[in-house]
Amino acid sequence: MNIYLQLFLLLNVFAIGVLTPIAVRHARAHFKPHPSDTKDSHIADHSVRLPQAVREKLLEEAGAKFQAVLDRSASELERDLKNTSTNLGKQLEKTGTEVVMNEIKHYQAILVKLREETEASAFSGRSEINKHKTELIEKLNVRQVELEAALTEEVAAEKERLLKQIDTKLADAVASFLVETLQHNVDLGSQTAYLTTMLDEHKAEIAKKVSDEA
Amino acid sequence: MKLNLPPSIASTQDLASLTAEIHEYARWSVHESIKKQVKVSGKAMPPTMSPAANELIRNWVRDANIDELIDALKNYAATASSVNITLAAPPSSGIKNTLVTWCRENISPTVLVTFQFNATLLGGMVVQHGSRVFDWSFRRQILAERQRFPEVLRNV
Repeated sequence: MNIYLQLFLLLNVFAIGVLTPIAVRHARAHFKPHPSDTKDSHIADHSVRLPQAVREKLLEEAGAKFQAVLDRSASELERDLKNTSTNLGKQLEKTGTEVVMNEIKHYQAILVKLREETEASAFSGRSEINKHKTELIEKLNVRQVELEAALTEEVAAEKERLLKQIDTKLADAVASFLVETLQHNVDLGSQTAYLTTMLDEHKAEIAKKVSDEA
Repeated sequence: MKLNLPPSIASTQDLASLTAEIHEYARWSVHESIKKQVKVSGKAMPPTMSPAANELIRNWVRDANIDELIDALKNYAATASSVNITLAAPPSSGIKNTLVTWCRENISPTVLVTFQFNATLLGGMVVQHGSRVFDWSFRRQILAERQRFPEVLRNV
């Protein structure tokens, strides 16, 4: 709340507090005079010795003036109180409105800020999630490609191994069949040319071996 | 005098048999010579000899005596190199002569050739000299080329 407004309100309260006892005291003194005042007036009466009529007239005029002053003071006080009350109300309303508006603006700013932070956080979170999701998908794809390549290579290797195994078995079977079959039908006569050809092809090698050992 | 053995005398065993025959013949010859010197009647039958021994003695005694032939044969057996040939079947004399002649013409004139047979060779031969083995058998070729059988079968 504004400091000047607070000071103004305090001054008003203070003035009301001062003026109210004064007005009450004057009213009581007027309507119920103190015996000492009466005694003093008797003393005055003994000392001045004014005629009764004058004295009454003076008293009436003084009472009327006092009543007029009192009425005027009361009306001014009432008017001041009304003005003060009105001003205070207005000021309070204005201050309250300002305070409420400020608080609302403050809350709105906080809410906006919170919403922005939340949205930013959510956006960041979504971005992180999307980024992580993308990375996972990429890694998954890479891993899938690697696994497929490894599987293909493994299948190819296994296939090659099985083919080699089949070929080996088949070769062994054919060789065994030929060895078993041909050894019962040997014709050396028809192999003479082959034998001499083999010897001719390796003649130098055999001769060298024989000459080395000779 | 240089000793030239016929192709029929191929192996160390053949040479030993030939030496024994000639030694027997020399002993018979000496015995007959002594009988002639002392004028003893009755002539013993000469020992039965192989054609190769007869031919060798006939060729040798023209220029030297038979004792020198025996010494030459012993020296031949002691110094000749030996080759072992394994065939897929027992070789005939014709094949033996062909191979021995080839060996003596191309390897060494004094080489001795020992023949063996092993039916599992299927064909071809295995020549062994000392620690060296030349395997030209059909079995080895079949086993060496057996990896091609599946390929050949796939192309059929």
